[in-house]
Formats: sequence, C-alpha cells, structure tokens
Amino acid sequence: MASSKASRLGEEVWKTRMDKVNAELVVLTYGTIVAQLCKDFDSDYIEVNKQLDKMGYNIGLRLIDDYLAKSNTMRRCSNFRETAEMIARVGFKIFLNITPTVTNWTSDGKQFSLIFDENPFADFVELPDDGRAQDELWYSNILCGVLRGALEMVQMQVEAHFVSDVLRGNDTTEMRITLIRYIDDELPPEDD
Amino acid sequence: MVVYSFYIFDRHTECIYSKSWLSPAPTSSSSTTTTTTPSGPTSDTHPPLPSSTTTAAPTAAAGTTGRRSAPTTSASSAADNDAKLIFGTVFSLRNMVRKLGGEDDAFVSYRTAHYKLHYYETASNLRLVMLTDTATLSMRNVLHQIYINLWVEYVVKNPLSPVEHKGGAGVRNELFELGLEQFIRGLM
Amino acid sequence: MSHVGSGKAASSKEQTGLRYPSNGKTIYHRPLNRTKTAELSQAAFAYLFSEMVIYAQRRVAGIQELEKRLNLQGHPIGLKLLDLLLLREPPRSQTRPLTIIALLHFIKINVWTHLFGRQADRLEKSSNPDTPDEYMIVDNEPLVNAYISVPREMSQLNCAAFVAGIIEGVCDGAMFPARVTAHTVGGKEEGEMWPGKTVFLVKFQPEVLEREALLGKG
Repeated sequence: MASSKASRLGEEVWKTRMDKVNAELVVLTYGTIVAQLCKDFDSDYIEVNKQLDKMGYNIGLRLIDDYLAKSNTMRRCSNFRETAEMIARVGFKIFLNITPTVTNWTSDGKQFSLIFDENPFADFVELPDDGRAQDELWYSNILCGVLRGALEMVQMQVEAHFVSDVLRGNDTTEMRITLIRYIDDELPPEDD
Repeated sequence: MVVYSFYIFDRHTECIYSKSWLSPAPTSSSSTTTTTTPSGPTSDTHPPLPSSTTTAAPTAAAGTTGRRSAPTTSASSAADNDAKLIFGTVFSLRNMVRKLGGEDDAFVSYRTAHYKLHYYETASNLRLVMLTDTATLSMRNVLHQIYINLWVEYVVKNPLSPVEHKGGAGVRNELFELGLEQFIRGLM
Repeated sequence: MSHVGSGKAASSKEQTGLRYPSNGKTIYHRPLNRTKTAELSQAAFAYLFSEMVIYAQRRVAGIQELEKRLNLQGHPIGLKLLDLLLLREPPRSQTRPLTIIALLHFIKINVWTHLFGRQADRLEKSSNPDTPDEYMIVDNEPLVNAYISVPREMSQLNCAAFVAGIIEGVCDGAMFPARVTAHTVGGKEEGEMWPGKTVFLVKFQPEVLEREALLGKG
C-alpha cells in the first residue's frame, strides 16, 4: 500500500539523508521564540498565534523545496489523500522524527485531522498560569503555518488550525486541515 | 559537453537567475523568434562573466540575438528579453505537452541545429533551463542535482535571503554562485 | 510558575491552576533524561533560527541591535542549560563550577557537546595584560552559521550572537556575570581553512576576578 512505501521512504531519508542536531537545542530555541513573541505582544495570545502562523508560513515556503529535494519527489501527489499520507509519513518524519496519525476524513475527502501523540516542541513546556494562556494560545501554531506555506507552493490552498492541545489540558494534540482549492499556474505577463 | 547558459524561473514566471558561459555559435539568419543565449562575454573562453538580468551588466558585448537594436545600454534589457522569450517558449511547450500527453507527461528538452535546451520543473514550480551544445545527452539529472545540492542548500536555507525572489533578490549569493560555477566547470 | 492542580484536573476546572489532560500526565512526570539523546533534523533548527533572525531584523534598526537581540534570546537558554546539564552529570561532578577555568571548561566541553555534538575547538585566556578578564572560546564552524551567507552590506553581522547569549546565560547562572560577544575571525587572509571561524569573547565583570583572587589566596 502506498502509505507503507511512504513510511519506508520517510524512515530512510531520516536515517540517511538528514543531518541531525540535539533535539533540546531546537526545542529550547522554539521556546525562546514563543517567549519573545509573548513579550513583544504583551501577552496578546491571539496576536501571538497569528505571528507564529506567519512565521510558519515563511518557513513552509522554504521547507517545501528542502522536502522535495530530500525525498527525491519528482511528481506531485495525485490526490489530497496521498498528500496527507506524504505529509504525515515523510514530511513530519524527516524534519521532526514523528509520524502523526491521519484520521477523521470528511466524506468529500477535503478535510482531515492530524493527531500528534508526541510533539517535540512541547517537551518541558507548561503554559503560563495567567488564566488566559491555556484558553487562547496554541503553542505549536507554527506548524499550521508551515503546512499552509508548504502546500501553497505545490499549488494547494489549505487552512490549518489546532483543535486541541495537550498543553491546554486536552487529551490529544490535534490539527485540522482543510483543502480550500487548487491554485492554477501563473501565466507569464502578456507581451505587447 | 559545453554549457552555454543557465536560467532559473520562479513560480511567478519571473527570471530570477541567469548565467552564461559562452554564446552558441552565432546563428546565421535562420534564427527564428526562438531564442539564442543572451549577449554574454564574447567567445573568449575564460573567465566567464555572468550576464545578470537584474543589474545592468557591465559587459556590453553586442548581442548576437535575433534582436537587432542593442545599443550597449540595453545589453541587459536584451538579456531580459531573452529570458522572457525563453520562458515563454518553454512555458508554452510545457503546457502543450501536458495537454497532449496527460498531466504526468513532462517537457524535457528540445534541440536545434546549434544548441539544445533542457528544462526541469520542480513540484514547487521552480523552473530550471539550461542551454548546451547539441551533443549533450540528457541534463535532467544535472538540473536535479543543481536543485537539491545548490538551490536548496544555498538559497532556500539561507535565512538572509528573502522567500520571494523578486527581481532575483537573494539568489545571487556567493556560495550559490561558487557552487554552481564549480559544478558546471566540473562537467565541461 | 504554576502550582500543580490535582492530577485529574480535566474534570474539575479550578479557577486558578492549569488544566491537565485526563491521564494526569504533567511535564513533571516526564523523566528529564528522556530526551537527552533525542535528535531532530538540523534543518528544523536552521529554519527556526532563520525565522528568529528575520523576525528580529524587522524590529531593530541596525546590526548592533540585532546582535543584541539575538544575545538576549539566547540568555534564558543558557540559564536553563546550566541547571539541566549539571543535573545530568554523575553525582561526583555535580557541583557547579567554582572557578573561572572550571566554568569555561564546563562550557567548552559539556555545553558545546550537548548542543552541537562536539567540543569547542579552543579555549584561550587573553594575553593582553590590560584585559585579564577576557577569555576566548573559539569555534571553527559554528552550527548556527551553517547556512548563512552574509550579504556584503551586513558583513559585521554574526548570527552566533545567539550562541554568545547562551554562553552568557550559563555564566550568569553560575554567578560569574559576564558579557559575551561573537566575532568572526575567519576570513580570506592566511589561506584560512575555516572561513567561518568565530571567537566568543567572554569578558567577566571585575567582581568575578576579585572573588577569584580572594579564593585563590584562601
């Protein structure tokens, strides 16, 4: 089945083609980014979420080329389901060494959920106890932006947001992704 | 194998990078509207100067392209136009190929009497075009290597280069140029 | 700072205190050493770091300020790393470093190995008699600069200011207040083998040296 091929690809790329660093460096760096944003925006967590999403979007625009290069993908996925499988089994695997589960497909096949049983960014993290953070801040919101940016570069416009997060006291960390539309190729400007 | 020139077009159909090593043999009058390479340095072998489409190229060598005008100040705009022509050609060919051969089919290269043009498009709509002599076989692998070893490493991963390379910003950095030069020289 | 609510806080949402998932697992249940050798891709770090640099760049006016911001962002990491690494040491070496040299060795070996997988390349004391409080940690190829190709207009920028901030955090946490800055020394001269060579200049505050001198005598 194509998904096990994807898993094997992800595993192989992770083992052989990715340079690795200590996870704690990455986690601590991400923590300092979020902390800095909270400080800059004066604990306006809605704004922090937006900023994280924007930063993630910028990362996604770059990361897609890296992903395509590392996974030696020559062609686009043929449908959204395949895209979801590749994201979960190859994309997340080669960058974060995790494989979220793809579930909760809607009947029209345009929406699915990613369930993270481990989120490396949230290691050692506890949200501030100011009564608002747990209701307003999505700590790992950068991942939503990354997916949005990366998929836009392969001509899919998607919307991604978290619906639950262990840091907020929920039982799982779940992200919901919706395909809005496929983007057409840009045409060159008309000559005189 | 001789490489004449190399272009990169982004997904907004803009030329964000171009470099020539040599112009192909000057075309006799039969040059049609399909392009030849832009005016680069004249046929001296070394050192090549990249003909930049973004800044006014100091190389004012007269163009041997199909366009006649070329007062020296418009050497760079001639190069600009060449890049646009190349892109237009390539884009139309690619669309036609997809229409005729189905979505999975891909335009790979075309050959004229004087040069061969190789095309490689990534899934992220980055387009690499290379002009070589007619004897060269497929450069698809070469273009793929340039993409993964040079583009991704030195442009994509460089935090100080912008994400959208409008007008070529951020592409022309030292590491990328050096790497490209070494890579191509190693092939020639 | 949070006070730990009851384990099954999901059902009883108290007014104050954080909610935890219904299995009651908080971060305090996780063993600290679980992720000691965990690895993520270097690309992940590179992208995060580059976004951090770009974000900082938008909010500051000049290179000095940018480096200062990066330094500030590294500082809390250094503080946390000091505690974490000392905790993970085998019990007999778990005391925090008491002399300058011990501290700098700790940084050169433990901190560097933890973060970058190798030791720092050199540790030197300044030979200038006017500045006995300056020490230098040399790294031939700082990881954080791996993908950065500094444009000419910004040639004084060294993004290793972030690492300098981490070092500063470690020093401050160990009660050896210092200022740490990063300087690029690798260049086109000398047929340089390491063009990205960076020197982290650690300048201790005067009271540190006084204390050191006192302790030495005592």
